[in-house]
Amino acid sequence: MERPADSFVRRPLAHAAVGLFPLLAWEALFFLLPMAILFVYSFWRMRDFRLEITFTLDNYAEIVTNPFLWKAFVLSLEIAVAGTIVCAVIAYPVAYFIAKRAGHWKTLCLVGVVIPFWTSFILRAYAWKLLLGEQGIINSGLLRLGLIDAPLAGLLYSPVATSIGLVYGFLPFMIMPLYTSIEKVQDSWLQAAADLGASPWRAFREVTFPLCFPGLVVGAVFTFIFAVGEYVIPALLGGGKSLMVAQAIVLEFETQQNWPGGAALAIALLLIILAMLGLLLRWVRMEDVL
Amino acid sequence: MTGEPGTRRRPGWLLAHTVLIYLFFYLPILTIFFFAFDTKPIPGWPIDTLTVRWFGEGLQDPQLLEALWASFWIAIVSATLATVMGIPAAMALAWLPIPGKRLLMGVILGPIIVPPMVLGLGLLLLFRLAPDLLGAIGVVIAHTTLNVCFSTLILYSRLLGFRRSLLEAAMDLGATELRTFREVVLPLAFPAIGAAFLLAFTGSFGEFIVAWFVAGFARTLPIEIWTWLRYILSPKVNAIATLIMVVSITLSTLAQLWIIRQARATARG
Repeated sequence: MERPADSFVRRPLAHAAVGLFPLLAWEALFFLLPMAILFVYSFWRMRDFRLEITFTLDNYAEIVTNPFLWKAFVLSLEIAVAGTIVCAVIAYPVAYFIAKRAGHWKTLCLVGVVIPFWTSFILRAYAWKLLLGEQGIINSGLLRLGLIDAPLAGLLYSPVATSIGLVYGFLPFMIMPLYTSIEKVQDSWLQAAADLGASPWRAFREVTFPLCFPGLVVGAVFTFIFAVGEYVIPALLGGGKSLMVAQAIVLEFETQQNWPGGAALAIALLLIILAMLGLLLRWVRMEDVL
Repeated sequence: MTGEPGTRRRPGWLLAHTVLIYLFFYLPILTIFFFAFDTKPIPGWPIDTLTVRWFGEGLQDPQLLEALWASFWIAIVSATLATVMGIPAAMALAWLPIPGKRLLMGVILGPIIVPPMVLGLGLLLLFRLAPDLLGAIGVVIAHTTLNVCFSTLILYSRLLGFRRSLLEAAMDLGATELRTFREVVLPLAFPAIGAAFLLAFTGSFGEFIVAWFVAGFARTLPIEIWTWLRYILSPKVNAIATLIMVVSITLSTLAQLWIIRQARATARG
């Protein structure tokens, strides 16, 4: 039987099209089109500082054959993988605490995780410069305590500093999905495991952990894709010796004026990220974690 | 056996670890706050004497003020655009059966997944075809593209928990769709809309990379600060940074608490 209210859903497709049109038109124009242009540029070539419209795969071949570019990709992948693992290891207990032990403090704890994400990223990266620099807080503190005789120069401007910055920047992306999936694990299930004689460790290993695996995968994939393309943190903290991909892209565009080369780097970076997302969608159903 | 969940022993290391991680989150932010009050012209540890001088000087620096104003209006315009586009899209996604919804969500959330650097480059190349858009307008466009993902997502999750019976009741009573929207949907979704707007505002206000690519000669505050960080060392930056952080932390805390309270009210109702 059709009620009057159903007029609202009588032509759902037409309604949906109207509702989605502004957003989709905007994204077609200012998201999909720019990506398409970037893709096209990556097959062009720069000759005598002028764009030559052609079809060449040289820009992509350059990534593999030019050791400078290749190293940038390798370093980005290494730092992103290491950062993701460190994030996962230190985020898990925090997410567990918030989900299962925080009690009345839960809301405050959650807000506390999300807030840094909304403060300026550059300023937070810059803060690490103040902490890690030669006159920074960590060096001065160690000097005062007499643990070191001279400031540790290698603290700032190193892949280690970059990694610390990345873990700092992207930890919330690991904590939130882990929290969501751990919270869904019912206490009664653990109680049942205990009643059946499982030790707390075994209950964790065989009940809690497998159930929150989707959250772990989602957190890991997002941490990885944000870390692998990061620019500000390596540019501020990493020094100029070993570059990550995003820095190499800026170098191609700004300094070398080689736009097709930069575009090819950007597309290659995008392909890595899409591959990770493809894996993610094969492993977990998004409905499980959102 | 082990008894009620509440009486289970609480491993102390879990709490200690969590406290350490929160320190890790907020220590860098606090560092900037402290250095903002350092009297020395080149900030450094130890801080002996405190001053508010840099706040005064920072707020009188014409370049910083101009960048602050640019960031402010760009954030207002792009947050408004993002919210206005996000509301109807979220309503459609939450309430109507849409074929290929997964793919659609993928496209809608795309700008979050693409590295900001890649989006910035793409937009820069697009704006080469329409050079008039480079500059502040370009930044508004770029930030709207980024913000609209977040605002649609926030509104979508709020509207999913919305009771359909309310809409149906209004329409059963003869309200038109527009009136139902104005008198039922809008008031109930208002906190989520406010939260989406605030988060879009703070997101745009602090965004650097995409803006950097498309800004042309326009200067937003993050671009200004980036230039200062790389080439000029001034305690004024710490003072301005402190002000920005206090404002954005306040706004985003409000928005987050709003979202959480709404989620609870929905769960209860």
